[in-house]
Amino acid sequence: MTLPTGATAFGQVGAFHARVLGTGGRKWRDVRNTGPSRWAWELVRRTSAPARLVSDAVLADETKLLDEPFLVWPGAEAIAPLSPAELRGLELFIRLGGVIVVDDSAPAANTFTESVKRELARVLPESPVVALDSNHVIYKTYYILDQPVGRVSGPSHLEAIVRGGLAQVIFLQHDLLGALARTREGGWALEVTGGFRQREYAVRMAVNLAMYVLCSDYKDDQVHAPWLMRRRARRTR
Amino acid sequence: MNASSWALTDDLSLPVVVFLAIAAFATVVMLLVEVRRRERYGALIVLTGVMGVFLLVAAVARPVRVATRGSVVGPRVVVLVDSSRRLLLPADGSEIGAAGRTRRQVALDTVESLRAHFSDARLGVYGFGEGQPLPLPSDGTETSAELVTESDLVAALSHLSQSAAERPRAVVVVSDGRLSRPFDGADDVSLRQAVGALGVPIHTVRLVEDAPRDASVRGVRAAGAAVAHQELALTIEIGCSAGLDCGVVPVTVRELRHGVEPGVLAAGVAKVEDGVGKVELRITLDRAGARVVEVAIDAPEGDTIAENDSRTLTFSVARERVRILHIAGRPTYDVRELRRWLKSDESIDLVAFFILRTETDNPRVRSDDELALIPFPVDELFEEHLPSFDAVLLQDIDAVQYKLDPHLPRVARYVEAGGGLIMVGGPTAFGGGRYGGTALGRVVPVAIPDDPPAADTLEFVPEYTEAGRATPVLKALLSLFDGALPKMAGSNTLGPPRPGALVLWEHPNRRTRDGSKMPVLALGEAGDGRTIALGVDGTHQLGFSEFASRAAGRGYGALWDGLVGWLMRDPRYEAARIEVVGECIAGSPTRLRLTRLPGAKGDVELELDRLGKTSAPIVKKLTPPESGPVEIDVGALEAGGYTARARVGASPPTRQDFACERGGEAWSDSRPDANRLVRIAAVTGGVSVDQDDVAALPSPEPTTVAAERHVSPVLPPWAWSAMAALALGAHWVARRRGGLV
Repeated sequence: MTLPTGATAFGQVGAFHARVLGTGGRKWRDVRNTGPSRWAWELVRRTSAPARLVSDAVLADETKLLDEPFLVWPGAEAIAPLSPAELRGLELFIRLGGVIVVDDSAPAANTFTESVKRELARVLPESPVVALDSNHVIYKTYYILDQPVGRVSGPSHLEAIVRGGLAQVIFLQHDLLGALARTREGGWALEVTGGFRQREYAVRMAVNLAMYVLCSDYKDDQVHAPWLMRRRARRTR
Repeated sequence: MNASSWALTDDLSLPVVVFLAIAAFATVVMLLVEVRRRERYGALIVLTGVMGVFLLVAAVARPVRVATRGSVVGPRVVVLVDSSRRLLLPADGSEIGAAGRTRRQVALDTVESLRAHFSDARLGVYGFGEGQPLPLPSDGTETSAELVTESDLVAALSHLSQSAAERPRAVVVVSDGRLSRPFDGADDVSLRQAVGALGVPIHTVRLVEDAPRDASVRGVRAAGAAVAHQELALTIEIGCSAGLDCGVVPVTVRELRHGVEPGVLAAGVAKVEDGVGKVELRITLDRAGARVVEVAIDAPEGDTIAENDSRTLTFSVARERVRILHIAGRPTYDVRELRRWLKSDESIDLVAFFILRTETDNPRVRSDDELALIPFPVDELFEEHLPSFDAVLLQDIDAVQYKLDPHLPRVARYVEAGGGLIMVGGPTAFGGGRYGGTALGRVVPVAIPDDPPAADTLEFVPEYTEAGRATPVLKALLSLFDGALPKMAGSNTLGPPRPGALVLWEHPNRRTRDGSKMPVLALGEAGDGRTIALGVDGTHQLGFSEFASRAAGRGYGALWDGLVGWLMRDPRYEAARIEVVGECIAGSPTRLRLTRLPGAKGDVELELDRLGKTSAPIVKKLTPPESGPVEIDVGALEAGGYTARARVGASPPTRQDFACERGGEAWSDSRPDANRLVRIAAVTGGVSVDQDDVAALPSPEPTTVAAERHVSPVLPPWAWSAMAALALGAHWVARRRGGLV
């Protein structure tokens, strides 16, 4: 089979793919199910990055966990302790360099995030969760952002497990998939507390996270520094 | 000849003899002090005391008589003839190759004169140059290949003084005086220390008195080591002799490259005053490894020796960090993995540009100030900064859409001048990126078809070729996965390999137009540079995938360590190492030594080509032994720069550049230095003469050789002891009579 003109990737193996992580043998089901697809759609529409518009769900103890280096781990409630196979799978995923975005759908309760931190401490006991600086490259991988944004305002900073300079597990307490999810009818699935503007910034946050996964710290390269400083200065004025 | 002499018994050491002498002397002195006011028997006391002491000493020392019989032979005289290649210069100021005699011919004639003059002496004739002096063939058949660069008289004399052979009675040095050691300008004390170790007269024979009319590059000194991309200051000394009117001399520094014209690195002028001029030129060598640089002057009219108007030098250029330009057409997991690897290597200085937004993308912003994007500085990169990079990585980027196409001829020239290039696959790489029919086609290792299909999405697992299994480039990857590779989701359409290119991976199903299996990974050389074509975008699976987890993700690093290492000529990824045996002197036989890496098997094919010139290469093929280095005779070469490429079996070729000079350092200063020879003779008590006057050299005294030696005691030990006892008894009696106790 030959590629049609304008095709974007060989079998899409290198394209951004927001696979949804499930644990305890259950794949994630929620009103936010369409969030990952919308994430990919926004990425393709706004950037040059290829993305898979239909996203898969994957369990932590499946071998296909290692098929691609990105996972989004959404949830609203505390998760059960991970099985040894799940711990092994996640450890291998992270040690190979994979990136996980932990998206708390109910950040006010915070039980999901705390339970994930507890389980990841078993996976990577040597890697604590730290707050990311407001100058972190995630805020400038594509859009220039001042703080994390999702369906809810949430904290003004991100937390992450950083290994070898790379934020490999990013804790997002802003219900990002909630801001991206669509209904079958084509409307937004959930209201956003800050209205249209906040939803736009949530999309931008999603794009930046995808670009961070694809380019890591590219925008920290020295060649970009003078441009970014000038633009931040103009935005501040 | 008969002779006799006296000695003490040889079983006493020197300290014992000295102690005895001191004790005897002290005893006599004390005796004299003791009796100086005695009137009675004073003389007798002294006489018996002195006798007693003498006989006691004789009883201990037991003197012997030595009788020798022997003969007289001629003195040993050592003649040291300067073996520097400099002596191939004309002796009479004519041009090289003209009818006149060379200094060497004059020296050999002088040796014959010395043989006649010292006919009664035992003459040893040696050539001196570097280290130990070597016997000179009596028929003067020494070829220029056996001549050396240096004229180190100090080293030669030092070896003579340390030799266990008979010490010569005199040394005769035959030279033009332009010695490497002792240094020019040394004072008499330093000169005596340098050449006086033998303690014998050093006579000198001056071969040439007058300097030729010559302008030359006398010296090229670099301020420190050469490092790629860093400026290096060269101090170039120009010399003009015999009143040649040089004034201002233009100087040019050029780098000799393979397949292209030499590139001018710097140019300037040297102002010559009192026969010497200096100029400092700053050059930047962008490529690491052995680089051949030519330093040349425009000599004024009347210059008689054109061969030393230029020097061709091999610079060993080190690299602090590999500077890589990584350009990607869009961000993918393949781009991500390559960037991660490049950033993780401390030895790589990475400059990256990724296309994050195309003209059709809609980021939904009111102003670009909301974006963290910068324009892709394609013109600036390729017009200004390209030479500063060691390698360029073009990953899945459309040449036309992102305006690379006007710069592709420049990229091809950059590769031919020594740069590295890797094209990494994807839908917009190779033909899909509209590189077909561009200038890059002449440097990448495979043909780039410019007709569809540019790629396909058939899953496949690449296959190692024989070369892929043999090369050190993929050795680590091969061993990590035992020859297995991950499944790729598709491939770019690549054409057949260019002549000389090597295919390491090939497609199991797809074919090129000539019916051979389609290359997937290929290596090639173009001019001075190297290129790699990788026609897939799925090698990131060697770093992150279930397949990669078998080797803890190390597969990706193993692949790219090898690819970038080979591109940058890292010796670890070469199948062999090439070096010149000794020096390469134009017109003399040259040998290259090839040392193969363990495991590199197969026949050797060596190709030797001129740098900066078009000529038919010298090709040598041989079947080497299983192990050990191989020496390959490439015959007599002309002066200039050369590149030697050796291929061992199916492995990619190894390359080494080197310079070949006619006279080199030895011819850089053609002036004789008769004054230095005169001073050497003066400080050692020798005589300095010119080559027509060797009869004025004094002959040393003949040497006596002992044939028989007989040692006999003067008296037996008991006789000395008895006489000592009697004398001491008489002394005791005399003391009693004299009132002494």
